[in-house]
Amino acid sequence: MSAITTAFGLVFQPSVLVTILLAAIFGLVVGAIPGLTATMAIALLVPVTFFMDPVPAVGAMVTCSAMAIFAGDIPGTLLRIPGTPASAAYTDEAYTMTRNGEGEIALGANLLFSVIGGLFGTVVLILSAPALAEVALQFSSFEYFWLALLGLTCAVFIGTASPVKGFVSLFIGLFVSTIGLNNPAGVPRFTFGNTELTGGVNFIAAMIGLFAVSEVFRFVISRSVQATPQAVVGNLFRGWGRMIVQYWRQQVRGNVLGTIIGALPGAGADIAAWVSYAVSKKLSRTPEKFGKGHVEGIVESTSANNAALAGAWVPALVFGIPGDSITAVVIGVLYLKNMNPGPTIFLENPQYIYAVFIIFILANLVMLPLGWAAIKGARTILRIPREILMPCILMFCIVGAFAINNSAFGVAVMLVFGVLGFLMEENDIPVAPCILGIVLGPMLEENFVTSMIKSDGSFLAFFERPIAAGLGVATLLVWFVPVLLAALRSRQAAIPREG
Amino acid sequence: MRVNDAVIGILLLAFAIVTFAYARTLPAIPGQEYGAAVFPMLIAVGLGGCGVLLVASGLRHWQGAVVWSDWARTHHSWTKLAVVVGLVMTYILTASTIGFVPVSILVLLIFLMMMRVRWWIAAAAAIATTMLIQQTFGGLLRVPLPLGLLGP
Repeated sequence: MSAITTAFGLVFQPSVLVTILLAAIFGLVVGAIPGLTATMAIALLVPVTFFMDPVPAVGAMVTCSAMAIFAGDIPGTLLRIPGTPASAAYTDEAYTMTRNGEGEIALGANLLFSVIGGLFGTVVLILSAPALAEVALQFSSFEYFWLALLGLTCAVFIGTASPVKGFVSLFIGLFVSTIGLNNPAGVPRFTFGNTELTGGVNFIAAMIGLFAVSEVFRFVISRSVQATPQAVVGNLFRGWGRMIVQYWRQQVRGNVLGTIIGALPGAGADIAAWVSYAVSKKLSRTPEKFGKGHVEGIVESTSANNAALAGAWVPALVFGIPGDSITAVVIGVLYLKNMNPGPTIFLENPQYIYAVFIIFILANLVMLPLGWAAIKGARTILRIPREILMPCILMFCIVGAFAINNSAFGVAVMLVFGVLGFLMEENDIPVAPCILGIVLGPMLEENFVTSMIKSDGSFLAFFERPIAAGLGVATLLVWFVPVLLAALRSRQAAIPREG
Repeated sequence: MRVNDAVIGILLLAFAIVTFAYARTLPAIPGQEYGAAVFPMLIAVGLGGCGVLLVASGLRHWQGAVVWSDWARTHHSWTKLAVVVGLVMTYILTASTIGFVPVSILVLLIFLMMMRVRWWIAAAAAIATTMLIQQTFGGLLRVPLPLGLLGP
């Protein structure tokens, strides 16, 4: 009980609450501006949280990401441009509602079900994380190796259209993680005598490049004209009671599916929204209404993308395996703060875990008033000229990358990854697996090499412990089932042609 | 600007071969078989495998080595990209000697003017942003932003 009291003491301090409030406003604005994603909001925020205590740092990131995912719905509904990729699944639907004069219902549904979805995900996080941590306490290097590998595998298969390109991104990230002295043997690798490189490639600088600088490049070459948003004049709270009653099934389904997809390593809010929208349409009694301004699919998928955020924290806190690119960054920050994620944190520092839970609840509750204000102020936010905003963002990126080690080397790393990220996305190579690879690489290598040394080089040892065997089989299934299915399908397709 | 998968595949394959060759030269831990070389070599094998698959799929859909998208056909876009990269490099090379404040104002001003922001708005935005960063990062967070010419 005392840990919970301590946690409340840690969170309910004026400085922490003000940090959370500022992060919320920052998240809302960044999420609402098209072209600036939730991950970019985190990338810009991380250099600042770098200087904070663990609880306000984590609080700022949790609140900022939750707000940004919700706020992405606003330009989607008013301009037909999703503010973040997580809103893309139902942008057309929401915009059609606006054109039918039901914009306030769409935005009201977005706000209401984002809050409920976020709270649901939080409850699952609170209930499941400590229980899973007890199991995880018995894990050895074999289990952690498989977990890391399973996480990276899911990132490639679930998060991308082309698994090969997902793997390319992942291997680039893993390669980057091997640079420097940080390896089991302590040998300098790929440093070419450069003293700055012996410390390795800093993942914060890399992610600022991949997620923020690459967006600046993309903006520079885009020729989009800033559109004037439609105004929402009606009462946002109209129809809330009716929607909760009428769409309770969709909402529960969205919540559950969102939390599960969020908890899967590598799949985050955007995929949760796409899958939920598709499920909603498939199971609906009136699928013909979808796409014509029908709120049903919005309810389900907007619940799912916010539930996914909390879901992603389950594997992140329990195993130190990120559920999406945002938690990948959070894990990196937790390590910097000596708050190493993993089952032992539940025993050694339970007050931090409870503090994270409290912040999650707080973040979703303040979303109601702040989200309402953001919708009302949407016209002003959306009128911020992006040709002024983007150069300023670039300067913040430069200073953020500099601030990590107070050296221009960080800025150089940022620039290299900015160009890399831009080129990758131009060629449909996703960037999220790359950042997961950079963060998880050292853990994967350490557990692999330790396991190999323990087992004298025998691969069979990876399957000797029951949980390790289960995880190993699951990983291999994810690898080989799609290949087998594809082979079967092509054979079936070939048979009639032959006959 | 879509580079054909086969071209990307060949680049990856070449990179993987170089990485593999370099990783083999890494010293082993005495008395142990698995040292610093294992993991980079596995990554190189993985990257090389992806390279081969991309070459195969790229050759099946060959439409030339590069398919130029709309933006890539104009000199304009390339110039803008080069300017942005150049501005960041300028910062890296000159900030420590000239100082954060003047370089930041200059970089912002050039970028803003390139985006066709009117000069007086650009100047105001450049100065305001620089001052904001100086106050938050330099003041509040105590990041030692280089003083350069303004220093002692």
